[in-house]
Amino acid sequence: MTNPLLNDEVAGQVKDVFSNQLKHPVEILFFGSKDNCEMCDETHKLLGEVTALSDKLHLTVYDLDENKSLASQYHVSMAPTIVVAGREGDQVTDYGVRFAGIPSGYEFSSLIQGLILVSGRDSGLAPATRQALKELKKPVLLQVFVTPT
Amino acid sequence: MLAHQLAVENPLVQAEMVEAMEFPDLADRHNVSGVPQTTINDGANHVVGAVPEDHLLAEIQKILN
Repeated sequence: MTNPLLNDEVAGQVKDVFSNQLKHPVEILFFGSKDNCEMCDETHKLLGEVTALSDKLHLTVYDLDENKSLASQYHVSMAPTIVVAGREGDQVTDYGVRFAGIPSGYEFSSLIQGLILVSGRDSGLAPATRQALKELKKPVLLQVFVTPT
Repeated sequence: MLAHQLAVENPLVQAEMVEAMEFPDLADRHNVSGVPQTTINDGANHVVGAVPEDHLLAEIQKILN
């Protein structure tokens, strides 16, 4: 058996944060690929360890090539990609929250925040921003480039 | 992450955190030099750095109007 990516201390802290802050169930969809994906195995492993820290988190694993129609439905074209969605019973709701590449190092906290955000089903944005977003008529794609630290 | 908050607020918004080192071609195509860089609608506009929500919103509105 290989060593876990999260040590006991970090796992314990995240578990506490989850038990205080996760509200509604979250579906994590992992899209990997067997083809030229250096970080897929590690990302999958990380998600497995994170998902094990709360019974409100569910992980499903897909392959970009073998599950083409699902990948297309979720606008996923790169591996690894993580889709953080809501889950009510069997119903999965897409909130448009994605991570492409492994969210490790500093970005690990972005993953935890993303899970808490979707679990809360509320953006937490200022009233003026919420109001302005209601005026949107066309799709908007935001890609936030980060680097591991 | 602010972009993710915008996505949760409005179903028309999709927000993706991209690890630039893993996807160098995409990062090159969008001339990523400083991070975080937020690219809007495949390069229609971009914002460098962590910015307040009214700032990001204004940059989104610029390309839609």
